[in-house]
Amino acid sequence: MKLRRNSIIREIDFIKLFLNGVGIIILASILALFYNSFSGRGISLIGSWSNRILSDSLIVPYSYQEGDPQAITLSEAMMEFQSSNTIFLDARSEFDYKQGHIKGALNLPFEEFDDFYPKVASKLPKDKTIIAYCDGTECELSLFLTRILREKGYQDLKIFFGGWAEWEEADLPIGKGEEP
Amino acid sequence: MWKGFKKIINNRYTILVFRLILGGIFIYASLDKIAHPEQFAKIVYNYKILPHSLINIFAIILPWVELLCGIFVITGIFVESSSAILSMFLVVFIIALSVNFLRGLDINCGCFSTDPKGKEEGAILLIRDLVLLVIGIQMFLSNFRRLNNAK
Repeated sequence: MKLRRNSIIREIDFIKLFLNGVGIIILASILALFYNSFSGRGISLIGSWSNRILSDSLIVPYSYQEGDPQAITLSEAMMEFQSSNTIFLDARSEFDYKQGHIKGALNLPFEEFDDFYPKVASKLPKDKTIIAYCDGTECELSLFLTRILREKGYQDLKIFFGGWAEWEEADLPIGKGEEP
Repeated sequence: MWKGFKKIINNRYTILVFRLILGGIFIYASLDKIAHPEQFAKIVYNYKILPHSLINIFAIILPWVELLCGIFVITGIFVESSSAILSMFLVVFIIALSVNFLRGLDINCGCFSTDPKGKEEGAILLIRDLVLLVIGIQMFLSNFRRLNNAK
């Protein structure tokens, strides 16, 4: 009899223990999701992780100088892509952009900057991180674009020199046509 | 000898110190991950254990569970459940580290810092996790026993 009572107590304790544990995890999840949506540093709930192991080589064109915006690698670009605080900016022509671009990227062709900038400016808040890219390693449009943007007062600029070529190669999310 | 050892680890001050160590370490470990979710997700990705769709949600929630459990262990609320959760985490960490150790992957542990420069030696990490696990289990058992005896 005594033994049975003892085992019942144990059982109740384990149930309580388990429920408390579940409660803690639920509370933590709520806090986590809340913080993730409102902290401004949040990441998307489901990430887009490529299956390929990414080479992290950083090749920059000759015209890249000290003092130019920071150059980032593919995996860094991938990380930035998860952040809600980042805007990708495609410096290639409208034609290339419509053929395919990094998902969610805006198009601001360097060669038609004056025509495009007024349209794009409203979607480019100065407090966001802007990552410019173009075709690939040899392409300098992204670099030139960030130089102009810096003069316009943008502070947080980065360049992804791997560009469209590396992004597409790695099978990362892309968009076609115009972005909504 | 064994009795003496048991007496020491069941001493209330020893348990208090254990609580501070375990709770403190987990709180400390959670803060950098909460501040840098992107980097932490990348580290989780590098472990190559979780399916890709779960990486981000895991990286978002895990540090908060660590933080809450750490706070609970120190403040003495829900100590049994919190220490049980932390012990389970440690088991998972030990398995994850060992798997990648055996695979020969040289990865950043992401234990305390999401900074890639903060790389630590695999064996040391394992030993540290094992020591913490012993503390966690001891805390769980001592509190659980105390609860049972109180009834």
